[in-house]
Amino acid sequence: MALSTFSLLLVFTYGCGGNSLEYYVRPEVDVAGIKRVAVFPFESLTNDVNAGEKVRRMVITELLSRGIDVIEPGEVTSHLKDMKIKNLGSISSRDIKNIGKTLGVDTVMTGSVEAYNISRGVSVSYPEVSINLMLLDTSNGEIIWSVWNTSGGADFWTRHFGTEGISLSEAARKVVRKSIDTLFSGPSPVTAARRQYRDK
Amino acid sequence: MKFSEKLFRTGLLLVIFIISGCSSPAPSFHIRQDIDFSFIKKVAVLPLDNLTADRSADEAVRQVVIHELLVSGLVDVVVPGDVMSAINKSGIRAVTSLNAEQIKTIGKALNVQAVIFGSVERFEVVRTGNVSAPEVTITLMMADTDSGSIIWSVTKTAVGDSFMSRHFGARSDTMSETMLKVVRECVRTLTEY
Repeated sequence: MALSTFSLLLVFTYGCGGNSLEYYVRPEVDVAGIKRVAVFPFESLTNDVNAGEKVRRMVITELLSRGIDVIEPGEVTSHLKDMKIKNLGSISSRDIKNIGKTLGVDTVMTGSVEAYNISRGVSVSYPEVSINLMLLDTSNGEIIWSVWNTSGGADFWTRHFGTEGISLSEAARKVVRKSIDTLFSGPSPVTAARRQYRDK
Repeated sequence: MKFSEKLFRTGLLLVIFIISGCSSPAPSFHIRQDIDFSFIKKVAVLPLDNLTADRSADEAVRQVVIHELLVSGLVDVVVPGDVMSAINKSGIRAVTSLNAEQIKTIGKALNVQAVIFGSVERFEVVRTGNVSAPEVTITLMMADTDSGSIIWSVTKTAVGDSFMSRHFGARSDTMSETMLKVVRECVRTLTEY
């Protein structure tokens, strides 16, 4: 009886398991050694038009707190205006190289916010934040790091006992922090394993 | 009934519940058997066709496709901005209905061996009875830029809820998680090839 109850509890707690955070680091690139970065405005793919800017500020704070020098966001934005770049999705590798030279940075970070809202589940509401970040090398315009992360749904205690969950801002901060952590985690073990499998 | 037999039955029921709840149908896909995929080193992911009411669904899914391809370790991916620039320069108006010649042109302009395009058919919260759950359906295709022909095609639907979440209140996936799940399973058909 006790065993059955315990098994049920496990199932309720974990459900079918969430998606693990997988990230990409270009082989032979020391992403953690980056000293100076320009963070571009992020695209808002949500109903909140300011979501991109909110997450951008959080990313800048996280980078600064880890000792990475970040170009003043206003300077980046005004530089993009000078280059007459209106659509963030149309920034080409040539633009990235030019910006790298002008601002004196080795890398630029681009990103988008896919979810930034309070979603309704079966019986509870919970904050949902999903972001995509990419680091581009200004010497060749190639993607050297990419991460896609989401906050997931309501936790066990909120779902079943109605305890207060975290706020939207807290969820966003957590997602950003976990994503930036992967910058310093070294090569992605998942990608390395799959590359090894492919090269067999 | 003995206690051990009861225990066994409970355990068996639990396993059946878990399996039926977590499993999702395998994506239907096609891979050209006469193509050596190892020659594909770099691909361009073109903007997807949005067949949903959500105006950002195409771009949201495209970002995840780019990320999952990179994570797969199979191929390198062109910066999205370069793709838009190549499309504009080629004078292509409708990316969603490319012909073989246009695929070859984009391939040359971006120096890629293949392009990926497709559509998002469903991206919404679907209500069934008392339960609402996110549902995402996508179709992805890969075309060889040498010949312009399709060498890989996959269609997959993922839903956010499961047997356990519907009946026992277990955790169900959010819209973002459902989107990640569907893209990951589609890309996996390439890695498992």
